[in-house]
Amino acid sequence: MGFVVGINIAISLRLTGFAASIPLAPLRKFYPLHWWCVGLIVLSGIGLLLAYPAKALTNPVFYVKLLALTMALLISRYFQNFLAQADTAATHNRLIVKLAFLTFLLWIITITGGRFLAYTNSVLLASRFF
Amino acid sequence: MIELLLQFSQSIGIYQFMHSTWGWPVIESLHFIGLCLLFGTVGVFDLRMLGMGKAIPLIELHKLVPIGVAGYLLNVVTGTMFLSSAPDQYLYNPAVQSKFLFMLLAGINMLLFYATTAAATRATPAHASAPTRARFIAAVSLACWCAVIICGRLITYYRPPYHWCAWC
Repeated sequence: MGFVVGINIAISLRLTGFAASIPLAPLRKFYPLHWWCVGLIVLSGIGLLLAYPAKALTNPVFYVKLLALTMALLISRYFQNFLAQADTAATHNRLIVKLAFLTFLLWIITITGGRFLAYTNSVLLASRFF
Repeated sequence: MIELLLQFSQSIGIYQFMHSTWGWPVIESLHFIGLCLLFGTVGVFDLRMLGMGKAIPLIELHKLVPIGVAGYLLNVVTGTMFLSSAPDQYLYNPAVQSKFLFMLLAGINMLLFYATTAAATRATPAHASAPTRARFIAAVSLACWCAVIICGRLITYYRPPYHWCAWC
């Protein structure tokens, strides 16, 4: 998760105009590692979900986290395509700047949602329903 | 030590806030956000030193590092809030001790970088490899910060008094 959020933060910072002298196109080289780490968090997430399915599936915070994570990853994919054709002048693309700020918000929701999951569950085991 | 930390946290209201309904998860979230700021900026700089995204001049990527420093400061503040609110759970916890050890190593590694290699690294142009010493320092830095994250996650599973610790 550290690599996924970290790489996204670094790229989004640049896309908002921070450190504008960093060339845009080479930043896409960090995406392969990013997607490998996404694979790891999906696998570990499925493992945690299988271990305590009722705990997550009965908690609305889980769905908020999942939605924020999915949106953040879709924007990452969009940024990756954008960087493949980008030059420095493209920083002024308003949509990209707005999406970069939205990315910060989505990662904050994902992280906060993840931490709050441990404190907001009302059901621990599915056996409660049988 | 425990008494001193508890006195400190109670005297300025940290203890009361942390033991309120949402105190702990709010500060945990901020701690993780700080970690991501640190890892996202310093980690990306380390990856470039190791050869990823070679078309980016290192001196340009170094401009992200102040954001990482801000993340680190956020973590020092939030970490102090954890430590002073439940010192017995942290001071005698082998995962915390290991985390501090790796933070110390990362700090020494960073000092070594700025004392010996930073100037040559900053001068590395685009498409060139960082000096060998810088690459070694980058690998140590990434390994240390990964270990810090892992130890941080393990803290809750090694609560005292059930586990070994160095000074209890």
